[in-house]
Amino acid sequence: MTYAELQTTTNFSFLTGASHPGEMVLAAKALGMAAIGIADRNTLAGVVRAWAKGREIGLKVLAGARLDFADATPSVLCYPVDREAWGRLTRLLTLGQRRAVKGECHLTGPDLIAHGEGQLILVVPPARLDEAFAAELEGLARAFPGRAWLIASRAYGARDVKRVHDLDRLARRHGTPLVATNDALYHGPERRALQDILTCVREKCAIADAGLALEANAERRLKSPAEMARLFARWPEAVARTFEIAGRIGFDLGELKYEYPDEPVPPGKTAMGHLADLAWAGAAWRWPAGLPDKVTRLLRHELALIEELAYPNYFLTVHDIVRWARDQGILCQGRGSAANSVVCFCLGVTAVDPTEPDHDMLFARFISKERDEPPDIDVDFEHERREEVIQYVYGRYGRQRAAICATVIHYRPRSAIRDVGKALGLTEDVTAALAGTVWGGWGDGLPDDHIRQAGLDPENPEIRRAVALATELLGFPRHLSQHVGGFVLTRRRLDETVPIGNAAMADRTFIEWDKDDIDALGLMKVDILALGMLTAIKKAMDQIGVADMAEIPREDPAVYEMLSAADSVGVFQVESRAQMSMLPRMKPARFYDLVIEVAIVRPGPIQGDMVHPYLRRREKLEPVSFPAPAPEHGPADELKSVLGKTLGVPLFQEQAMRLAIEAAKFTPEEANGLRRSMATFRHNGDVGVYGRKFEEGMVARGYDPEFARRCFHQIEGFGSYGFPESHAISFAKLVYVSAWIKRWRPEVFCAAMLNSQPMGFYQPAQLVRDAREHGVEVRPVDVMASDWDSTLEGPAVRLGLRQVSGFKEAEARRLIEARAAGAACLRQIAARAALSPQGLELLAEADALRGLGLDRRQGLWAVKGLAPEAKARVEAPLLALMGPPAETPVPLPAMALGAHVAEDYRTAGLSLKAHPCIFFRTLLTDLGAVKAARLKEMKNGARVCVGGLVLIRQRPGTAKGVVFATLEDETGVANAVIWADVFQANRRTVMASRFLVVHGRLQKAGEVIHVVAQRFTDLTPRLADLRHSDAPPRLQRSRDFH
Amino acid sequence: MRRVAAVDAGAAGLGLFVGQKATDAAALAPELITAEAELAADAAALGALADWCARFSPAVAMDPPDGLILDITGVAHLWGGEAAMIRDLVRRLAMNGLGVRAGLADTAGAAWALSHFAPDRSIAAPGETAAHLAPLPVAALRLAAAEAAQLARLGLATIGDLAALPRRQVGHRFGAEVVRRLDQALGAAPEALAFRRPPSPWFARAAFAEPISIPEDLARASGDIAAVLCARLEAAGRGGRRFDLAFHGLDGAARRLTIGLALPGRDPAAIARLFAPILETVDPGFGIEVVTLAAREVEVLAPRQRNLPSSPSLRGQSGQEDIAPLIDRLANRLGEKAVWRADAFPSHAPERAVKRRPPLAAAGAGKKGWRLERPRPLRLFRRPELIEVMAPVPDDPPIFFRWRGLAHRVRRAEGPERLAQEWWRRPFDTADPMKARDYYRVEDEAGARFWLFRDGLYDPQRPPKWWLHGLFG
Repeated sequence: MTYAELQTTTNFSFLTGASHPGEMVLAAKALGMAAIGIADRNTLAGVVRAWAKGREIGLKVLAGARLDFADATPSVLCYPVDREAWGRLTRLLTLGQRRAVKGECHLTGPDLIAHGEGQLILVVPPARLDEAFAAELEGLARAFPGRAWLIASRAYGARDVKRVHDLDRLARRHGTPLVATNDALYHGPERRALQDILTCVREKCAIADAGLALEANAERRLKSPAEMARLFARWPEAVARTFEIAGRIGFDLGELKYEYPDEPVPPGKTAMGHLADLAWAGAAWRWPAGLPDKVTRLLRHELALIEELAYPNYFLTVHDIVRWARDQGILCQGRGSAANSVVCFCLGVTAVDPTEPDHDMLFARFISKERDEPPDIDVDFEHERREEVIQYVYGRYGRQRAAICATVIHYRPRSAIRDVGKALGLTEDVTAALAGTVWGGWGDGLPDDHIRQAGLDPENPEIRRAVALATELLGFPRHLSQHVGGFVLTRRRLDETVPIGNAAMADRTFIEWDKDDIDALGLMKVDILALGMLTAIKKAMDQIGVADMAEIPREDPAVYEMLSAADSVGVFQVESRAQMSMLPRMKPARFYDLVIEVAIVRPGPIQGDMVHPYLRRREKLEPVSFPAPAPEHGPADELKSVLGKTLGVPLFQEQAMRLAIEAAKFTPEEANGLRRSMATFRHNGDVGVYGRKFEEGMVARGYDPEFARRCFHQIEGFGSYGFPESHAISFAKLVYVSAWIKRWRPEVFCAAMLNSQPMGFYQPAQLVRDAREHGVEVRPVDVMASDWDSTLEGPAVRLGLRQVSGFKEAEARRLIEARAAGAACLRQIAARAALSPQGLELLAEADALRGLGLDRRQGLWAVKGLAPEAKARVEAPLLALMGPPAETPVPLPAMALGAHVAEDYRTAGLSLKAHPCIFFRTLLTDLGAVKAARLKEMKNGARVCVGGLVLIRQRPGTAKGVVFATLEDETGVANAVIWADVFQANRRTVMASRFLVVHGRLQKAGEVIHVVAQRFTDLTPRLADLRHSDAPPRLQRSRDFH
Repeated sequence: MRRVAAVDAGAAGLGLFVGQKATDAAALAPELITAEAELAADAAALGALADWCARFSPAVAMDPPDGLILDITGVAHLWGGEAAMIRDLVRRLAMNGLGVRAGLADTAGAAWALSHFAPDRSIAAPGETAAHLAPLPVAALRLAAAEAAQLARLGLATIGDLAALPRRQVGHRFGAEVVRRLDQALGAAPEALAFRRPPSPWFARAAFAEPISIPEDLARASGDIAAVLCARLEAAGRGGRRFDLAFHGLDGAARRLTIGLALPGRDPAAIARLFAPILETVDPGFGIEVVTLAAREVEVLAPRQRNLPSSPSLRGQSGQEDIAPLIDRLANRLGEKAVWRADAFPSHAPERAVKRRPPLAAAGAGKKGWRLERPRPLRLFRRPELIEVMAPVPDDPPIFFRWRGLAHRVRRAEGPERLAQEWWRRPFDTADPMKARDYYRVEDEAGARFWLFRDGLYDPQRPPKWWLHGLFG
């Protein structure tokens, strides 16, 4: 009995199919099918996943699409028989998608015929088999002679048999033989309920009102060949034909591989020769004093490997993009498996010298023959200028050969529960409560305690039904979106490899496949990403006069000293709370320590409980040892080469992979499958399979089961946020460079950071405060002195007009011009710069008119007086020439300092005049609060109380419901830890307060100080008092005021 | 974006406020109970309250969303002074469970300012308005929030601060509106208020000099009073769907009769005709001295020319009017529930695929629910009947069945049509989305057609149960 299901709809036909492509393929194999065809609605988005699964388990997967037409043409399943026909199908879909708005496809019958060569088509009959359909069928039969079939399915409708009979007659009449399918919407009947829910989401109705839009039964699933034979007992040839059709399709997606774009090469040279020339020239530039032997050796080795694997074009492509950016003065840095090579250092792709001690990252380890995948380089660019790079790539390769990958947007817990709840007809408050009371995502589940937190009973049957269905829906693709910067480049027309559709943004297109699909197929991709810190570093380097990050002096002890003291506000990556508490324990003293620092505060190592063992070993509190297998299974130090650099504790993704190979004896192919499963197809349950294999493999070889379990936990952690050493090294370079700038040129650092906002972890207020604490004078925004950006006035920073929230850059430019042209009073500036009344008011309210001798209130009164004049200039220019009528000066009451501070925060997000807490110090003292700066003088375990503005609240997913809050008072910041139970009891206060007093106990570990909160006093309502506060006991800069 | 429209004292105490995002509010107070804001209902309620206030003053104006302005010129003395009047007004409103703040002054603007920003029930004696307003914040002038905030930032926190400035400079900077609001509050500029009049109820009353009691008189009286009320309805372009007739007897008891119409109407003859058959149930006792008629469910009804035969081209539209009187008479005689029409309801479950609808309701969305490819019996049993069946496994049609003791040999059959459980209607624990019934349409040797089903898919472990669910013509 042979049968191949050819009509399947996966969940990449969004809101229609109810099974993942992989599930379809697995089920087809289990049912004993000969092959399975995947045909989603006007899309090929799911075929690669299905194909990859088929390759893994050994089932032939036919890649096709169901084409639905905008004209009267009946829908057809279209299966290309060879590579050229595939190209025609992708061009056809590209045509349809480019014509329509994002997510839609507009095709007609003539389009199909024009792209029909080499396609097998299976015609989907409509509900009514009328004359019009017969005519269309006849037309298709003529256009696809011997390549058209008519589909019959048995969905258990009342008159199924009669219908198949009618179809058979039609098929015979038109020479389009009958072919049996089951028109599957899911792999097994247990998905019926979820498919009903998807129908409701699609039709935007509640299930009680969905009526006949729902399927009547659970029959639209994959069925075994025997069952299909029984259902079509009267038409056995219709079943047999599925196998025939599958046999006629010779095309396999694997044929799409290896289509690198040809890079222009000087005449008479090969690509490889050209790359070698570039690399040696680069080496001479990097080592002007002559090449060390080690470099020569490494470079030769890498070049040989690149030649052997035929990757020169890939490196030339990356080099070309990077070289262009460098010519434009755009700072960039590569990272990824192939980036930490001598070749990339010489080509200027990275600034990390791979020959330095400890980064003996073997290039061969990442470009390996076993991996049989193209090298991977991501390039980060200044975030403000990345768009230029993207336009360059489009310009160079053309839209026909370059396009951005898709990102599959999956159902997350929030969206899943919201859609399911709505479909089940739960009231909006219940759905919103379920979906809305959490911060950010919560991984992949809807735990009971979250449901209870939302004030709902997880035992309630309706809630349980909603949660069960939502859990099933998790990980379903919801729609495609444009990837942030993953470019696919090909040699032939890209639209002959994959359909290209419109993005939501005008003039943007992206392909239907995401990065995992590209990886699985082995197509070439370059990630062109945006990084805010590069913008800041570039601005700072321009100021200092440095052209390349490699020129920054290396291994400066003062920089490591600063970082070891957790003095890292604004420094790339290591500025977060968690990093700051790690730095004093890590005490980084050399570059590789930063690499570890970057990688260690991540879900992977935290989840795998690897952080504390590492720190203890580093602090020499426990001996460095290497887990070992039983003696009969291998040498005791087999992991030393893998884990040596990290003191025997696996911290990096690469190490986890190597563990799988060395300790659990995975084949490279399996290790690759593991890596993919944790990043990609992790909703298919593969991770669990690998997990068992991993742990059993290690335990069987005599490893400690507890260690094996922790290693696998860590691998799962990498799945949610993989962090490989190859990326950490590139990031560590940026950590070092930004720290160096902060250490030696804090004023440059402050201005560069302010001018690159929004980016990073801290608000301008904290950056300015930090600069002032490092002795930098910061001067206020002033119409007579400020540029748009913050600037340096000698060693002082002058805040730029960009700090005034809402003020437009174009107005600032006109203002600066008018000022340069001599405008010296408010009326001249307003008139010559043609400032809008709103712009003038923003400046006045931000207290930026002091350079004109006007304080905030006088300024606002003055600019309000100008607004009608500006209008008059336009409406009655002659009258306006006569000038405004004289006004008697109006005495406005002086503004209290507290009100000034409140206004500074409102208009610019920071105040140079005073910290708001100064005005509440008496109140805070009465409440028993000490100043934040005094915490370090107190004893561990002391009862303590501290108050301040709430800067940051975090509830990391890895921290089991613990909330971290950072408070700031006039002397510094204080960090509070709020355990889950305390948080639950004080939820409202903790979540909403802006001005908070925390009562608790001091917890000190070295220089890391926390207040473990026990209770809170919410002072937020008192912030309003600020506006009435008069001069506080002490002024920070009294000369600023009257 | 959904936002909070109103909070009670408890919610306000938790820090929730009007204008907050609904999701933020729910996150802050997970136990929060919310209800949809009904702005139209709120406006209607305010209107009703304004009408109720007519007992205090004939001139009541609405100040939406939550204010009323009463002009009490010349009426306060009825309560013994302004303070006593406010006290009484607030007390009566409070008795109805309403939270009220009141203020009283020479101008509507000043009264508004006092009621919103001064201590409750503040009264500015005549001529003292300016002094009372001076310490209040500028927001009390009914300014836009942004303007009030900006004035405050200029140090012009109170109405007194603002009033002290040169008017021209203020107007120059903040526009005429600010100055106008200031002048209105201080009485320097007029303010037009839209006073409200309560609508007259749709009600007519006739009293008789001599009590009446014979049926002909009752019939004539009901006809007369219907004519009076219908004339008023016609003048207002309205019609009623329900009419309550009441005969008030000398004994002080009222005898009430009610009729309903399928379409709103105001034809006095038709209304009298519908009352006529039930007048005989009225026991006049010692005689009737007053008759009243009230129209309910009053709706807009365009004036129409009567007594013309409807032209054939309009028959489609007027068809309903032709049949409406018949339906009215049937329904008033047999009971409203007895007259209905069957409408297809979109559901795969046969029991739910038919809905009873009002006789004149427009054909619902279910119209396309009758589908040829899904044949349904003309007569569907309310409860399926258990039958004995012989059928090949797993799912071929039956060849023989026994129903009510009689054997039927199947000559022709079609099916199965597999209809699975509407799982969402079952409790989660017992729902089984894969459970289904297989329906068969069969014809016996006598040519009778039946609708049978097997409950559950074929299961070799468990003998199947078969049911007969309906009969085809």
